[in-house]
Amino acid sequence: MSPITPYTYFQCPCSDSALFRPGDGSPSSPKNRDFGDEDGAFDPRAPRANYSLYPLEYLLYCEDCHQIRCPRCIAEEIATFYCPSCLFEVPSSNIKSEGNRCTRSCFQCPVCIAPLSVTSFETQPDPNLLGAQDHSAAHHGGPYVLNCSYCNWSSTETGVKFDKSNGIHGQLAKQRNGGTTRLTAKERKERRKELVQSGGSAQGSDHIADEHGIDMETQFANLKHFYQTQLSSSTSGGSGFSGLGELGFSSPTSLSRIMSIYTGGGSLHDKKSKSRLGNMREALEEDEGLIVANLDESAAIEKLRSEGLEGTIDTEQLQNQPPNLGEPHLHGRTRFTSELRPIPYLLRTKRSKRCPVCRHIISKPEAKIQTTRFRIRLIAGNYVPSITIRPLVLPGSSGFIQHPDALLQPLRPIQYMLTFKNPIFETVKISLATPSRTPGRFASKVTVLCPQFEIDANTDVWDEALKDDNRRKRKGEESGNPHQQPEVGKIWERGRNWVSVIVEVVPASLRVDLLEAAPDEEGDEEGEASEKPKVKREVDRGPLREDEDLLEIPMFVRVEWEVDAVGEELGSSRDKEAKEKRELAYWCVLGLGRVAQGN
Amino acid sequence: MNERMAGIQPSGMLPHRSVANIKSPPPLGAGSGPGGSGPTTPTRPIISTFASPSSLRAEEDVIIVEFGTRKVQVGFAGDAAPRGTVWFGPELQRRVGDFREWQPGYVPDWRKSALGGLWGAEYELWCNEVRGQDMGLVRDRVERALREAFTKYLLIDSRPRRMVCVLPSDLPIPLLSAVLDSVFTRFQPPTVSLLSPTVSLAVAAGVRSALVVDLGWNETVVTGVYEYREVYRARSIRGGRKLTEQTHDFLARHIPQTEEKGKAESAQSVPREHVLSFEECNGIANRLVWCKPTSLGMSMAELGEGLPTVQEHEESDEESENATRKTRAVVDITLTSPQPAVSFQLPFESLAEPCETAFFDSRYSACSFDDEELPVHLLVYQSLLKLPLDVRSICMSRIIFTGGGANVLGLRQRIFDEVSHLVQTRGWDPVTGKGVDQLRSNPKLKKRGTGQAGNGPVGVQQQNGGEQDGVWHDAANVTHESDPIEEQLKKGTDKRPRVEGELRAIESVGTWSGASLMTHLKIAAVATIDRELWLQHGVLGACKPGDVDSKAHQRQSLGAGGLMRGAGGSSSWTLGVWGTM
Repeated sequence: MSPITPYTYFQCPCSDSALFRPGDGSPSSPKNRDFGDEDGAFDPRAPRANYSLYPLEYLLYCEDCHQIRCPRCIAEEIATFYCPSCLFEVPSSNIKSEGNRCTRSCFQCPVCIAPLSVTSFETQPDPNLLGAQDHSAAHHGGPYVLNCSYCNWSSTETGVKFDKSNGIHGQLAKQRNGGTTRLTAKERKERRKELVQSGGSAQGSDHIADEHGIDMETQFANLKHFYQTQLSSSTSGGSGFSGLGELGFSSPTSLSRIMSIYTGGGSLHDKKSKSRLGNMREALEEDEGLIVANLDESAAIEKLRSEGLEGTIDTEQLQNQPPNLGEPHLHGRTRFTSELRPIPYLLRTKRSKRCPVCRHIISKPEAKIQTTRFRIRLIAGNYVPSITIRPLVLPGSSGFIQHPDALLQPLRPIQYMLTFKNPIFETVKISLATPSRTPGRFASKVTVLCPQFEIDANTDVWDEALKDDNRRKRKGEESGNPHQQPEVGKIWERGRNWVSVIVEVVPASLRVDLLEAAPDEEGDEEGEASEKPKVKREVDRGPLREDEDLLEIPMFVRVEWEVDAVGEELGSSRDKEAKEKRELAYWCVLGLGRVAQGN
Repeated sequence: MNERMAGIQPSGMLPHRSVANIKSPPPLGAGSGPGGSGPTTPTRPIISTFASPSSLRAEEDVIIVEFGTRKVQVGFAGDAAPRGTVWFGPELQRRVGDFREWQPGYVPDWRKSALGGLWGAEYELWCNEVRGQDMGLVRDRVERALREAFTKYLLIDSRPRRMVCVLPSDLPIPLLSAVLDSVFTRFQPPTVSLLSPTVSLAVAAGVRSALVVDLGWNETVVTGVYEYREVYRARSIRGGRKLTEQTHDFLARHIPQTEEKGKAESAQSVPREHVLSFEECNGIANRLVWCKPTSLGMSMAELGEGLPTVQEHEESDEESENATRKTRAVVDITLTSPQPAVSFQLPFESLAEPCETAFFDSRYSACSFDDEELPVHLLVYQSLLKLPLDVRSICMSRIIFTGGGANVLGLRQRIFDEVSHLVQTRGWDPVTGKGVDQLRSNPKLKKRGTGQAGNGPVGVQQQNGGEQDGVWHDAANVTHESDPIEEQLKKGTDKRPRVEGELRAIESVGTWSGASLMTHLKIAAVATIDRELWLQHGVLGACKPGDVDSKAHQRQSLGAGGLMRGAGGSSSWTLGVWGTM
């Protein structure tokens, strides 16, 4: 699954509860039963597994709860908001008012998402457009455009030009594609205020709406305004819409309602609400938010006819587009390249992370945006033994060295060297468990030759160096021997804070026609009588699915170690045995690579 | 004394209110000015003295989440549009740290993932068929999509925030439960309110009643909304997925090689063999497929009445223009998902074909369709027909098109025209068939029928038809008897006439925006679920909508608990129209 094979994934223990939760209705669903196989062995192929597996680098560790914490089980707090393009910090109040995008001049190309640069218009000689330019374009500094240096997209393609080279976001908000101007929300509000003051609300609609029809933002604002007036003039008595509404005490209507409750005037209240029932009407004019749809799309169809596929944008580009509120509802017309808008950069955040249980901070970035350092960062790799996998090449064997990307040969046993590296300063005891056959249709056989072993503490390198002779001796004993063979129950190799053990794997054959026979034989051998009929019935001879040729071994790892008890209550009473036992248990997935098909 | 009591009450709900919220009402008061609604009390200073903004809870911005089959839209209440949209797709289902799509030369192996009838399944959050669906997987998908949306678009941290979920009210309860489970266990909102997409759509169009034609992904759903209530619903499988499948079949038929091999039929045979990737077909369906204007163009011009004249005019213009260009227009299409990539040309006219078959299937007569696959225009017509008379007259002039299918160029117009044609030819007569047609087409019979009672058995039938017709006309013309309730209803309403009885389509800002608007105006949802209660009982804790006394609810909300439901603990809650277990 990951580009680097072999690889390891860790399952955060937090997902356990979700996966095996009772009362889930899970027994009925066939996919969940996969988890239940073989005493709840984890199935890395189950679709849900994708949501709970993480590479070790993504995991954090809470020192107080002694638990792995994955991105799903972490409480986050935002330290700073910033634009990834200009690296300017954005105050959090702006996020609410201005939105989640950079409001300076940072834009992405709508075609290829490369950053756009503001260039003076003259740099691109385009005779047609230059001729159309009427005002002082000849001087440098003239109109500016946004330009993509990667795919050469330019905002002139959609007819957008800017007068100034800074504050592009603001200028863009005032322009529609094609260069026509539009009112921004603020201007519209002022316009409305003026109209109200002059007393002519009736012709407001023709002022506010320009020739392009009412854009979505305006419609929304109109609606909001309309509903607010309606709500404030109607009671919240019984009309369907506001029946339960206006619970806020700030509104005069609900105050009057409270008054009526406390003056004991139940009847009064009733009368009032009845008399005002249905006060709220629907919007009747454009000014109030009602817009009769223009269903005529023949112009757009004509455009599509003349422009063909090139005139439209693909799905991804469409999904990258920020919501364009400056237009009336476009419906199908968003597909045209002429409707593309430069994408303002989405802001990003720096977050500090806390353990959701004990609220201790487990990751805290430096507040300064330019630095990528962390003040606190408890990554799991410093607490959990890391696992690396390598195909075992016996020095004595024929010089066949497997390329890491090479396909695994089905039914040919391969030995892998699993190296566990202990990052903590205590000696840890590790127990491994794997299902003897990997779950899924094509079951490979897995044998861990030495499932239990101890790893020495991660002591100081210099200490190690001083005790050098001792270590060297041991190394010579174990790996110096060219004729060493993997043996059951024995560690293959051992170092200062690491241990290697051997895993033997027989990759399954991916031939669908052999599927039936294989599990049956196995069932006989292991004497699983109950399993047999079930397997026979459910043989699925469908062709190979995505990633079914991947050989992944689920492995349950249990790490135990002892630490000096730190708690005072412990220290006082049992001084002698002031050791505290800790353990950590989790599922891992070892990905060994893809199995060759066709034999 | 009343003052004081009123002052005490808010203290109960203080934690829920922040400065920002308290300040919001002024525009409300100011807004009422121009409306001429009489004097209103300005906001009371009392409140600010009692409002100690709580630092425990994030500033009270309500998050609105709209779930669709293929995407999730999120944003804050009060915004005009969602801040971000997350589409479901294979990328969202990979493991964390699986960067295969960034590797050079990576080509998604769509063939393998499409096996077992799962073509396109990974682009969907759920399907309405709950049997065999892994609810845990739905939960995981919801969680991941929301997490992505929250961190990427909303830029919020994990402090508890109130949430509003816009979910179709006919969502199967297991799915609803899965969504709520995921939301409550992973995001800790104190409450989640449910809003119906159709009602929010009506709100975002500024109307109280509407006929919502949702050309959605799974199916097309026509919902009659009357006075903010869903009163009728009809559905058909002719939706976005069907369109994409039809596009696939259409393209498969036109790929040069398959034509040679004579595979054209196999593409339509039952075990559908997909020769193109879902992504590509969906792309073509989104980009190129369009919808032909109705073939009844000529008759439309005569009918006129219900239609704005401008539209017809242009249509006939287009017709003549088209005639000249029709033969020339060709579209180049390059498809990369078949093994050797193919590129070929298709006449532009033919690209209307998938839409034609997906939504109308006009090759077949109306009686040959099953209930679940009615062509869209028939579906709309029948939904209108089944609505009560008053509701129909209101709803037919407030048709709102929504959903992804509304993006097919010309489709809305086509449906609208087809429906108005049906209305013009058939009227609101549920009886169809040859006999009725004969009756209608024969002016002699008709004349007699509408006149005084004919003679003989035939006459009796005619009379019946005449009466039905009569009812329809009379309803509009008859002088109403004075009805006390009716008068009461009319008392407060605006005197301006409502548009009714004519077909009209209106524009809505959108479902999400409607929900945003409602939440911003503090309209309480009927179904508001408290986190504690949900975690205790799950979906089984919901009462039947009728069991919850809305008055009690109101009273409670004004009482000691304030907005803090669940403080009482024993308060019953309901899922409203979303149903009960």
